[in-house]
Parts: sequence; structure tokens; C-alpha cells
Amino acid sequence: MRLSLYVEGDGWVHRLDPLTKVIIAVSAIALTFILTNLVANGAILFVSLALLTAAGALRRALPVFAGALLLALTFFIIQGLVYPGNRTVAVAAGPVALYREGLLVGLHLALRLYNILSATLIIVLVTHPTHLVEALVRRGLSPRFGYVLMAVLQIIPTMADQTKAIMDAQRSRGMETEGKLWTRIKAFIPLMGPLVTSSLISTEERALALEVRGFGDNARPTFLREEHIPGYGIVLRWIALAALVSGIVMRWGFGWL
Amino acid sequence: MSDKEKRGNPWALRFTTLGIVLIPVAVGINYVGKLFASVLKLPLWLDSIGTILAGMLAGPWIGAISGAVNNAIFGITVDPISFWYLITSIAIGLVVGYFAFTGWVSNIGRAAVLGIIVGAVAAVVSTPINVILWQGQTGNVWGDALYTVLVGNNWPVWLASFLDEVVVDIPDKLASVIIGFLIFKALPNRLVGLFSGSGKDVESI
Repeated sequence: MRLSLYVEGDGWVHRLDPLTKVIIAVSAIALTFILTNLVANGAILFVSLALLTAAGALRRALPVFAGALLLALTFFIIQGLVYPGNRTVAVAAGPVALYREGLLVGLHLALRLYNILSATLIIVLVTHPTHLVEALVRRGLSPRFGYVLMAVLQIIPTMADQTKAIMDAQRSRGMETEGKLWTRIKAFIPLMGPLVTSSLISTEERALALEVRGFGDNARPTFLREEHIPGYGIVLRWIALAALVSGIVMRWGFGWL
Repeated sequence: MSDKEKRGNPWALRFTTLGIVLIPVAVGINYVGKLFASVLKLPLWLDSIGTILAGMLAGPWIGAISGAVNNAIFGITVDPISFWYLITSIAIGLVVGYFAFTGWVSNIGRAAVLGIIVGAVAAVVSTPINVILWQGQTGNVWGDALYTVLVGNNWPVWLASFLDEVVVDIPDKLASVIIGFLIFKALPNRLVGLFSGSGKDVESI
């Protein structure tokens, strides 16, 4: 089992350095809150999807998009029904009516949801988590904190594997994991207990192992990989920041969008 | 058991190697709790037990960092939306850590009260996030059904959104804190002493 959704690749989006991708994603997310116009929000979504397509990661993004579909649908239904600004009936079925104003708010929220998802997926699907953490440590994040982030990525698959062993062990002793709600609640502690206790006890050993390897040292570490920032990466950073600034100016400077 | 109740200044920084190593383990426990809850088809998330245990063991700061790392990591790996609820997780770690070091994990009754406090705090912190992001909806079926009824009856969006979050958060955090408490009580005293950084207690046993 692997925690990350990262898609291997070697296109121009993959070769961008992690920080540039973070700048692009953060600008896109900020813009979706700054711009209230539906067309502008659609344009941001288009750019994010185009980047994902160029990276060859759109197919892996689809399950994430599909997973959010239900949430997006509830935006339309709930806001269409009860949004406080509702005036004009759009669809009516008996006593129930969906209002135009609420549906537009629903569309806005759904666009916002998909904008946040696709912008974040530019980082998630196209950047190896290790490279992202390394880029952060390079820019001043404490190496100890860098260890914490890396360790999470390794610990979770290990612990998830152990859950299967514990489930099998407890079932073979006759513990029921199916049936009435109370039966299932009672099964939770015997499943969690052993895993949590053993992993907490092992922290002491790990702390000692780290300390004898110089974990407490305050010297800056050197890096295994050289960081390479492609020339077009710098250009893209400036484009993203320029879009963000012009969004702010258009919204609050001129009152457009 | 007095060493588990009064364990020094709650706001002391416990950034020892042991405290730092606890953070990834706490995130792992959060993940496993969520996994078991979904395998057993429990109607709760139970995805903050690790953050709660980190707070109980090593105080509010390590608890808060565990919460932040939890949501940041899931935000950049499998669930982009979780990044936005980072502040909620930080609040959970802070509250549990502070109360645990001032004697609130001495018995199950107090742990239950702490659970309700944590649930209320989580709801208070999450409500502005829900209102800013989704007009106050939470994405939880039961909570959103309540929200629809309340807003439909002209309740203010903020209040409806808060209640939407409360009906989900209070039972979830109550169960999580009680489970965390039961596991905490079952841990060897020596380990609890090591995390809270009170070496003297270990020798006095």
C-alpha cells in the first residue's frame, strides 16, 4: 500500500520544481475566493485541468473528482432549497421548489470545490512528497520537522499492514467484527489497543536510534539531490503571481468580476 | 497513579527527540482509527485518537503539531479538503493537551466531560471554515439534513452551520477522547513519565 497518489512522469509539468507548483496552486486557490464571477472561476478550473492533462495525471484525478460529486450535488440541492436570498422559482415539483438564486450559489460552491481540488492535485499528483519536503527543508524548514513529515509517509503504510494482522488474530480468537452496532463498537478497542500500545512503546527505541545518528545536532544537513529549477518555472511563477495581483486589483481596485 | 494526574507545567515545550518521534506515530494512529471505524462500519470518524493521545502524553504543543501535520499530510496526499480543517485539529491537540496536564484524565467521568469540551471546541473552530468554504454545509448527511431544515425555517446560516457541525462532532470527539483515555490508562507508567519529561516520577515508582 502506498499513501501518496503521485503519478510517475517526465513531462514539463513534472520537471517544474515543487515550489513553483505550490505557488501556482496557492494562486489558483486564492483567486477562486477573490473572484466572485462564475466565468472567471470556470477559467481558473480550465487552467488547472489543462495543467493536469499536460502532466498526464488527469486520469488519476478522476476518482478524486468523482468522490466529490456527491458533495457538489448537495450544494445544488440544499442551496437551491433554502438559500436565504432565494426569490425566483427555477424548478417546482409539488410543494418543493428549487430557486434560481440558490442554484447559482450551488454552482459557485461546486466550482470552488473543484477549483480547490484540481489546484491541490497539481501538487499531489505531480510532485513526489519526498521532493516537496526536501524543497521546504532547503528553504529553512527545520530538518527535524522534515523528518516528521517523511516519517508519516512511511509509518502509515506500515501501520495499515499491521491492522490486517491484528484483525485476523482477533477474529481467530472469536471476536465478532460484524453484526449489531454495539457488537461492532465493542470490537474497536481490542483492535486499536494492541496496535497503538506497540507503536507507542516502539517510539522510545526509535528516539534512541535517531539520537545516536545525530538527530539532535543543529548543523544544516546537505542534500542527496541537486535542486534544478527550469527557466520556464520562473516564468510560470511570475505569471501565477501576476494573475493573483490582477485578480485582487480587478476585484477591489475596479470592482469588476 | 498520581504521576498521571499532575505532570508539571502544561505549556512546557516538550520538543525532545521522543516528543518529535511521537508526532508521526500519532498521525498513524489517527489513520488507523479511521480505517478500523470504516471496516467496522461505525457511524463516527474516530480519526483524531492519535492527536488526542499525543496531547495526553506530551502536552498541548506536541498535540497541536500532531494535529497540524495530520491534516497537512492528508491534504497533500489523499484528501485535499482536509488541509482546510488544519486549525480544527490544532485546537483539538491544544485543548486535550492542556486539560490532560491539569488533571482531566484522572477518571472516565472527567474524560467524558473533556470529550464534550473537545467536541464543542472542534465545532466552534470548524463553523467559520464551513461558512467561508461551503456556505455552512459540512458534507455529513445527518448534519446537512439538520442544516437544510433549520435554514429552511429561517434560522441564521451561522447557527444552522454550527448545529450541523455539533451533531457530528460531539459524539465523535466524546468517543475518541474516551477511547484515547482507555488506551492512555493501559500504557506502562514508565512510558507516560518519559513523554511528559518528568524523570523523577519514574524513579519514585
